[in-house]
Amino acid sequence: MLSSIAKPFAALALAAALISIVLAALGASPLGVFAALGEGAFGSWYACVDTVVKSTPLVFTGLAVALAFSGALWNIGADGQLTIGAIAAGAIGPHLGNFPHPIAIAGILAAGCLGGAVWGGLAGWLRARRDVNEVISTIMLNFVAVQALSWVVHGPLMEPSRAYPTSSPIARAAQLEFYFAPSRINLGMLLAVVLAAVCYLLLFRTGAGFELRAMGRNRRAATFFGVRIPALTFWVMTLSGALAGLGGAVQVSAISHRLYEKLSPGWGFEAIAVALVARLNPLGIIPAAILFGALDNGSQAMQRTQGVSPELVQVIQGLVILIILAFDTPAWSAVREQIFGATGEAAAVPPVAEMPDA
Amino acid sequence: MLRANAITKRFGRTLALDAVDFQALPGEIHALVGENGAGKTTLMNVLAGSLAADHGEAILDGLPLQAGSPRAALAAGIAAVHQSPMLFERMTWEENLALGGFDTGTGALDLDAIAARARSLGAKLGFEMPPDGATVENRSVAERVRLEVLRALSFNPRVLILDEPTSVLAPSQLAPFLDLLRNLRGEGRIVVLITHKLAEAIAVADRITVLRRGRVVARTTPAETSEENLAGLMIGEIIAQPALSATPSHSGAPVLQIEDLTLDDHTGRRILDRLSFRVAAGEIVGIAGVDGNGQTELVELLAGARQPSSGKIKLLDGSPGATMAVIPQNRDLDGLILDMRLWENLILARRLREQVTSHGWLNASHAIDLCRELIDRFRIRAPGPETTAGALSGGNRQRLEVARAFASRPKVIVAHNICRGLDLAATAEVHRTMLDFAFGPGRGAVLLISSDLDELLAICGRLLIISRGKIRETDPGERDPQRLGLLMAGARD
Amino acid sequence: MLEAFLISSITMATPILLAALGELLVEESGVINIGIEGAMLAGAFAALAIAYFSGSTALGLGGGVAAGVAINAIFAVLVVNLAVNQVVTGTAVSILALGLTGVFYRKLFGVTGKAFMVAPIAKIPLGPLARIPLLGPVLFNHNALVYFTFILAPALWYVIAHTRYGLRLRACGERPEAADALGLGVIAIRWQALVVSGAMTGLAGAFLTLAYAGTFVENISAGRGFVALSVVIVGRWNSWGLVAASVLFGAAMALQFGLQALGTIVPYQLFLALPYALTLVVLAGFGGQAAAPSALGEPYRRD
Repeated sequence: MLSSIAKPFAALALAAALISIVLAALGASPLGVFAALGEGAFGSWYACVDTVVKSTPLVFTGLAVALAFSGALWNIGADGQLTIGAIAAGAIGPHLGNFPHPIAIAGILAAGCLGGAVWGGLAGWLRARRDVNEVISTIMLNFVAVQALSWVVHGPLMEPSRAYPTSSPIARAAQLEFYFAPSRINLGMLLAVVLAAVCYLLLFRTGAGFELRAMGRNRRAATFFGVRIPALTFWVMTLSGALAGLGGAVQVSAISHRLYEKLSPGWGFEAIAVALVARLNPLGIIPAAILFGALDNGSQAMQRTQGVSPELVQVIQGLVILIILAFDTPAWSAVREQIFGATGEAAAVPPVAEMPDA
Repeated sequence: MLRANAITKRFGRTLALDAVDFQALPGEIHALVGENGAGKTTLMNVLAGSLAADHGEAILDGLPLQAGSPRAALAAGIAAVHQSPMLFERMTWEENLALGGFDTGTGALDLDAIAARARSLGAKLGFEMPPDGATVENRSVAERVRLEVLRALSFNPRVLILDEPTSVLAPSQLAPFLDLLRNLRGEGRIVVLITHKLAEAIAVADRITVLRRGRVVARTTPAETSEENLAGLMIGEIIAQPALSATPSHSGAPVLQIEDLTLDDHTGRRILDRLSFRVAAGEIVGIAGVDGNGQTELVELLAGARQPSSGKIKLLDGSPGATMAVIPQNRDLDGLILDMRLWENLILARRLREQVTSHGWLNASHAIDLCRELIDRFRIRAPGPETTAGALSGGNRQRLEVARAFASRPKVIVAHNICRGLDLAATAEVHRTMLDFAFGPGRGAVLLISSDLDELLAICGRLLIISRGKIRETDPGERDPQRLGLLMAGARD
Repeated sequence: MLEAFLISSITMATPILLAALGELLVEESGVINIGIEGAMLAGAFAALAIAYFSGSTALGLGGGVAAGVAINAIFAVLVVNLAVNQVVTGTAVSILALGLTGVFYRKLFGVTGKAFMVAPIAKIPLGPLARIPLLGPVLFNHNALVYFTFILAPALWYVIAHTRYGLRLRACGERPEAADALGLGVIAIRWQALVVSGAMTGLAGAFLTLAYAGTFVENISAGRGFVALSVVIVGRWNSWGLVAASVLFGAAMALQFGLQALGTIVPYQLFLALPYALTLVVLAGFGGQAAAPSALGEPYRRD
């Protein structure tokens, strides 16, 4: 237990060190940048709240990725699944005006789930029945989703005055309202936390979750003991997509209230870093999402005061993932055993990429 | 002369080799015997350069060998034939051999010339080569052994080390193989034969070195020793063999019935052909066969991991909840998930999982308690149920698998090559457990599928032979390994 | 019209094919490199930045090659030496490269929107061949990189299938433990494959900025690296198949512009999505991994 907390911290420390080198190459001050990040993320009550707002989509996509990765299903498509979920939400949202508030909310969120589920399920079906590497299929679906979004905001869903490439605003009834205005705290955050708990229970306290983890760690053993791999693959990818799609719907319902291009700044990819920092544990997704949400939030201040562009956050994401993977190698297991005893903790991510085999 | 001085090698906490001295002379077959886990394969890997020893050195003809470099070992003249297959399945046999010593190494790659050289050497050895351009994938087990030996010999090595080469051969193929070793000895080479089969060692070796738990405990010659003596040296104590004579005269009603079981693969090739047999309560039935004749697929069918093309598997016991537990071979790949904890590995078995699950909800503490109980009962040496399976030693992992099989209180136990890789003590323990299960009050049924004829003859009542996907019963009185071995080899080869 | 489309298909196919050929080498050695997209992007950026500031196209190309090698080296350390999960590492490398190129792009060229351009590499018509009607301009009037890439394909086929080195390479991808026991040196060979592939992918990226666009925009590779991965699968790990698949996807990309120019009422996003959707469809029909090297994607470590 101790080691599973210590490792992400060590990884972050090393990432910070490497980032400093990059910043020095850019002629920026590492301390200044970190200070600006911290200030922008937590410097005021409003900043803190906004950090949580920015973390919320990361919880949804992080859960999606963590679930899929637990089964050695490499879902790189959370971004596309979130986008399609958002499109579904944005399409149905404007028409929910005559429904009671809870029904409208349920409706818009369900639409998001459904959209994401279809997008994820498609990749799942391709893997289960057609042996298609899900890494490639989900990445391709990401690109298709981007174009789908572009099309709907320029075309069928475009707002009536046709002045800007956005969709019509969703009905009031379908909007997740803010509490403690002018902050943007909304029920979507609560939903995210609840879902994290649900995913944890699902993964570690149900037979289905056990089968999923078994499939992820040793596919052949799982097959031998009767786990139905194709069906499980399909349903996990569908659920994963649904979670990401729900995140898209929450974003539309609570924050953006409409669709526009580039709705996701890369939450689906960021989710991979989130999931790894959390070591694929749904409960760990929450603090991990807040960490990366803080980075996202702080990056704007960083750009303003230090002149470093926000893409630095992506550099941080990439480095964190690489470092966490590097720490997990067997080369370190001897050191680990000395410190933490020989309980033989497993790597965060199933090491074998489990390419589909005919 | 090949010499190893004070070789020491540690894996984590296990001391695999403890200051081992070893010596082999030209024109000699030197047998290295010991139980599974004694360190024989580790020593071979050090000599062949696959592993670097922590201390000590290997010397050939006065020149020290570079540690940890297979290339250096090959250049110095040491070639090894490993226990696990080291051929490239999807490549042709010519390509496989081209990666050996038949290739001149300069100029363009000439597969025809390589094949010609291979054929001539093969002819000298009495080997028949596969057809031109055939891939290794579909070759029989014995052909693969021959190809590996050929590849090793292509390096024209001073030293040839063979690790358990006969374990996959049918008994009828043994004698020609030993003759081959004698030929190689006659050419002045150093032949190191690693084996746990004492009869073979005594039959063909000039000198014998015995390893036990990483240490050399004896150096002797066939004239000065015997199988019993060697066995005693290998294990350091006398293991009470299970009471084999206590076979009951009547077994009970049939419990497992296989009817016309057939399996075709996706290309239409018939893997299992109308198998029909039954196993009764209180009986241990053995299926003997060389690996690769359909055993793995049969085990998968019995486990429910695969559906037959036709035919039936029936559990006939009337009592409710009669189950069959299947222990697959090659435990690390199929039976256990090394990254998961012991109790999680336990509930891989569907029956046990159902026991600890209600309405889809997994009761972890129940599973943990069950695991703890089994750890005690089967004396698995592990810190606790939360230990990761990968942290267990090989023997304890096997105990876990046996424990899991028994935990669901089955009526039938099916085990595939269950004693492979186990030392004598662990093997005796497994046999005892099976005998108790079959002949004890529970009157369970046991189906043992194995390539080890000795093991099967020791504890099985009825013996079936599987060859090319077909099964045949043997005469109850037929116990001659030679004749049974011929049946095992069947029409293969 | 048709001629322009075909020329464009070849041009679009080139970077994809070049990257795919590099990936073929890597996958034959047993590694799958999702970071290929990152290497291409890094190559694209480095090539443009160096060509712009130095004024030399040759230096730019060299810079692209170096950047691709550097990105692949990071990947190699983790995947070959430390034997970690190849898929997640590759994805992380692509994210890293996206971030690095973005950050340095803004730093060097600011947000002023100042268009910095270089003159695209000149075409080299192949004499009388270039004058054959239709086939001439389509096949024989391209810049040097295009010729290089399409000649590289059969060369690589020969190396992989018929040379000693190719045999060793394939042995590593088939069963690395056996390859090491024979003294072939799996780690060294995989590193070599990744370095060469990095050079090729970086060059492919350089093609995008120096030969095709003449400038850099964020994420200019737009998934071409990932398309190259599909090309290897669809082409069934065979150089000739790779050529066919690359041209197919290149044609899909070329279609975007051709049909946009027609001004049809079909939304342009459909055409932008076409290469990716087509990849999916083709993979669904032909995407089986049966022809893949046996040990592909499995981390390998010498104990």
